[in-house]
Amino acid sequence: MSELYANEPMMDMYIFETTQNIEQLETCILDTEKAGYYSQNVVNEIFRIMHTIKGSSAMMLFNNISMLAHTVEDLFYFLREHKPEQIDYSTLSDLVLEVVDFIKGELDKITQGDKVNRDSTILSSKIKDYLEELKQQNAITELIEKPVIEKQSHYYIAQDKTENKINLHMYKAIIFFDDGCEMENIRAYTITHHLRDMADEIYYLPQDIIENDESIHLIREEGFQLYVKINKTYNEMFEFLKQTIFLKDLELIELDNDEEFKQFYKPIKKIILDTPPVMIPKINNQNYQEGKEQTITSSNQSIISVNVAKLDKLMDLVGEMVIAEAMVTQNPDLKGLTIVNFHKAARQLHKITTELQDMVMAIRMVPLSTTFHKMHRIVRDMSKKLGKEVKLELIGEETEVDKNIIEHISDPLMHLVRNAIDHGLEATKDRVTLEKPKIGKVTLEARNAGSDVLILVKDDGKGLNKQKILDRARENDLLIKTENEMTDKEIYNLILLPGFSTKEAVSEYSGRGVGMDVVTNNIEAVGGSVSIDSEEGIGTTITLKIPLTLAIIDGMNISVGKSRYTIPTTTIKESFRPKENDLIKDPDGNEMIMVRGQCFPILRLHELYKVKTEVTDFTQGILIMVEQDEKTLCIFADMLLGQQQVVVKTLPSYIKSTRKIQGLAGCTLLGDGNISLILDIGGLVNLNG
Amino acid sequence: MAESVMQELYEQEEDTQKGRFLTFALGSESYGIEIKHVTEIIGIQPITEVPELPEYIKGIINLRGKIIPVMDVRLRFKKPFREYNDRTCVIVIDIKEVSIGLIIDSVSEVLSIPETEIVVPPEVGKGNNKYIKGIGKTGNDVKLLLDCEKLLTEDEVDSLNNIQ
Amino acid sequence: MPKVLVVDDAAFMRLALKTILERNGFQIVGEAENGAVALKMYQEYKPDLVTMDITMPVLDGIQSLKAIRQYDPKAKVIIVSAMGQEGMIKEAIASGAKSFIIKPFKEGHVIETLTKIATA
Repeated sequence: MSELYANEPMMDMYIFETTQNIEQLETCILDTEKAGYYSQNVVNEIFRIMHTIKGSSAMMLFNNISMLAHTVEDLFYFLREHKPEQIDYSTLSDLVLEVVDFIKGELDKITQGDKVNRDSTILSSKIKDYLEELKQQNAITELIEKPVIEKQSHYYIAQDKTENKINLHMYKAIIFFDDGCEMENIRAYTITHHLRDMADEIYYLPQDIIENDESIHLIREEGFQLYVKINKTYNEMFEFLKQTIFLKDLELIELDNDEEFKQFYKPIKKIILDTPPVMIPKINNQNYQEGKEQTITSSNQSIISVNVAKLDKLMDLVGEMVIAEAMVTQNPDLKGLTIVNFHKAARQLHKITTELQDMVMAIRMVPLSTTFHKMHRIVRDMSKKLGKEVKLELIGEETEVDKNIIEHISDPLMHLVRNAIDHGLEATKDRVTLEKPKIGKVTLEARNAGSDVLILVKDDGKGLNKQKILDRARENDLLIKTENEMTDKEIYNLILLPGFSTKEAVSEYSGRGVGMDVVTNNIEAVGGSVSIDSEEGIGTTITLKIPLTLAIIDGMNISVGKSRYTIPTTTIKESFRPKENDLIKDPDGNEMIMVRGQCFPILRLHELYKVKTEVTDFTQGILIMVEQDEKTLCIFADMLLGQQQVVVKTLPSYIKSTRKIQGLAGCTLLGDGNISLILDIGGLVNLNG
Repeated sequence: MAESVMQELYEQEEDTQKGRFLTFALGSESYGIEIKHVTEIIGIQPITEVPELPEYIKGIINLRGKIIPVMDVRLRFKKPFREYNDRTCVIVIDIKEVSIGLIIDSVSEVLSIPETEIVVPPEVGKGNNKYIKGIGKTGNDVKLLLDCEKLLTEDEVDSLNNIQ
Repeated sequence: MPKVLVVDDAAFMRLALKTILERNGFQIVGEAENGAVALKMYQEYKPDLVTMDITMPVLDGIQSLKAIRQYDPKAKVIIVSAMGQEGMIKEAIASGAKSFIIKPFKEGHVIETLTKIATA
């Protein structure tokens, strides 16, 4: 349907629904696999999902997906109708999962706006072969589809009307359908069915429209011939047939005698037909209740799907509105005016913008459950491949994170789970020797911690070997401290460095030439951090700390000369004006400050960023103590400007591509229209060693 | 001045933009820039400095909520810096979805320069010639026609040297 | 303006039909995702036409068609089906469906079918 093809809501809906269906299908398979067999419900469900995907994909002209879905539909149709007993469920699951992966891959391309063109014929024929095998093993030859209606239905003689032959007219009609309307035989059947209530006798050619789908060709070439005895005038009859849908050509002749009817009379056998009893399904209460629970979808639809790009745009707009509000309410022109009503209205405006902002944020928050559930598949594939028995435990999957962040953590999590199974867990037989539970356990846990979310990937495997890590680090020249100066945690964190990989052989799953440093990069890209804890023989825990949202942060604005900077409030421990005698300078010229008996390094922002300022004496300015990654630093600035929520914007791409600026996370617009640069505290504390 | 030139720009239809150039001055030289790249012309704005950038990228400005970088074309061409005044303009151009503001001394006018009047610049080893993709003749004047893409992409090595 | 109730478990198909029908002068009075909801909506909205998918959970298209026809013998139900479902369509016609459309459907086909049924 090309006119729909370009239609954006249709495309969005297609992607949304197909993705949902595919995920449901995957869950279905994974759950079923645990049970070891496919229940009738599951078979029905998979059939239905595939049927839906087939239909939607065909509408969107994604024929490779549609064809593949059709093959699977056929397979599950067979399973549903014939309930074969000998099924190799493991192969079946593999095949369906392969289909899941194929469609996922194509969906990704569609989402990216790429061409969908991967050939699905090989996979399709694999499934067809499997179906053939199933048929042979279960000794079922393909049944010709049983006509659902009575077999001899090519003529009707209505019982009660036979008496009243006086007013009967006899007609011959030849009907042609529009080209390309398809299923002409059933369309012909529809006509005869609707005539049944009125006509006395009906005969037609071809006779086997119901039983034989080949009759389609005959109807296309020669038309559908209808002989009717009926108590209707020519005009009435003509009007009736005119109603036929996709009618291309109609020829209606009133016959004087029933000569032409005789060809149908041969076996004079009056079949008295009752209209087949219309089965009214008993709708049991349960069904009704289910129906009730599903709120009526018409005009009062309770859930809609929205394109993320629109949400991003909305977020931007709200951000701009927050700025615009500040520009109005803090406008310099208002200075010195007594405008009570203005301030009242401004407060109301402020209240509404804040609520609006919170609501937009809330809309963007999605639970981690989808991401977490994806791991079931990884665990399944890995444990099958490696022959390790693994149990995956999910805790706190309802924890919510900003949509944009979720996209960034899915891959790292996958990598970590793979790592845990491949390198973390011992082989099953080793676990038995070690008297550990035979089934290895991987736990994925999420929980809120202030403005961050913690995600833990835990395994009960062999733990990290400190000595091996140190050896490896030494080989690669990654050690910056001497070995005995390092804490356990510092040693473990070595594996996060680029170019570090504890496994010599690259395995199909975890290796892939990428190490933990990729995980770190991904997490840091969203302003998060990674840390590792481990105990030999007991297991390893990797903790990802991720901000709830990237879009809006609470910030403290500071000034240095003419420049403005914003520090995320969450990193600020305190700010103070230092006393002369608390300041220390070491022989290398590093400046430090003593606070409550502890010494902290000082960073002069004006020096780091070469900003001209009058304030270069510590006692004239202010120190802001910040902490991240368990490192503390005092930032020296001219003065504090105040705290506010700021909308994080990235620096223009031209600037980012020209140079990666250390210690800058982005920029934001202040109420007065000025731009402030947002400091990346994690980058600054590490800059200082 | 800026407004009237902009007015003129808006009146151009897409297809008639071909061969039309916005001309501006840098000192005594006159440059031209293809109109299809130009999105607007604004007066000089407060510029937020961004550390560690080459000297010719002056920083970022707030263009109605959109943050864009600004480049001082004088400095880009290694000409001496000149204080900004009320004739200084920022030409906002859009190239391959990158918006950037070009700071120039002053804008002049919109000109049609037929292709026949444009010649390829002579090959002179180094210098600013690499940013010039043609020399257009209009009456007695010549306009140096800028290659905007090169302006943004070329010379990364130099830019690194500049800050050291 | 004929009032239509669209019954399909796939939101995509409902949107496709809605898009086509609305721009051709039909009014969508309801969308149901299964047969049970469809019956309730039929009773509530009394549509002129119903488009009914066959393969649906809870109560499939044929069962739902029968239920609606029992409630209102004059109900005009059009079956939405796919190639390969001929048997089901025949059963649906025998059970009182007025006609059928085949997925992937063409706009012209859908409109011709619904218009004829509506005016019949």
